[in-house]
Amino acid sequence: MPMDLEQFKTSYDRWVAESLPAYQAGDMKEIVKRYPFVISKGVPWTPYQGRPAEQTVALITSGGVYLKSSQPPFNTESIHGDPSFREIPRNVRQRDIAFAHAHYDHSQAEQDFNVILPLQRLVELEAEGIVGKVADTHYSFSYVNDIVPLVTVSVPQVIRRLEAEKVDILLLVPV
Amino acid sequence: MAEEAGIPTISLGNMPDRIGHIKPPRVLLTKFPRGSMFGEPGNVRRQRRIVLDALEGLKTISEPGTVLETPYRWGQPDPE
Repeated sequence: MPMDLEQFKTSYDRWVAESLPAYQAGDMKEIVKRYPFVISKGVPWTPYQGRPAEQTVALITSGGVYLKSSQPPFNTESIHGDPSFREIPRNVRQRDIAFAHAHYDHSQAEQDFNVILPLQRLVELEAEGIVGKVADTHYSFSYVNDIVPLVTVSVPQVIRRLEAEKVDILLLVPV
Repeated sequence: MAEEAGIPTISLGNMPDRIGHIKPPRVLLTKFPRGSMFGEPGNVRRQRRIVLDALEGLKTISEPGTVLETPYRWGQPDPE
């Protein structure tokens, strides 16, 4: 996405300095209003071709999902958020996961992760032949304010992994 | 960035105006909370329905930035 990261960084550093007291007090409403969102120039677009029944699909959530016995939680303290991601296997079970994200209500997902990451639904559709393949690996991000490491490091890494698994379709589920 | 890498995407959303900052190429809108956009916990039929709607949206959306609405309401049966 064509993005002026230098300009973002300048606005972002100013936003952090101004917002830190409110952030630490848990007062999110005002600081969200002043956050320097990067406004897209145009809309990114790859035309869709083919049929899901012949294709590989992957999911990405920003819900702060992680595997509790093998992965560290996301950093939920820092005003910068956490730009890292976690790999979530296609056969993950409810009892395998936990949530590290302080800025949305994840109580529904704690009962049934399919409400934000419908992997079990996709696996059923694969068994029925409606989806060709559910990728072996899916991805969770969490709350991020400093998008520089996100767009320069994490997202390119995830894209390379998606390409290695020959993913044809990506479902993006923000929280 | 995935689109630039040649991978088509469709995003879930629940607020048309919040989408405005980011302009995803394809959006399926549900009227459910951010933490539960595929519907109620345990509502397997609805979750499946919304996944199918997203896959259908990939095929039918031809205009970048299109937002498709869904008729599902929390706690109420699916229409038709």
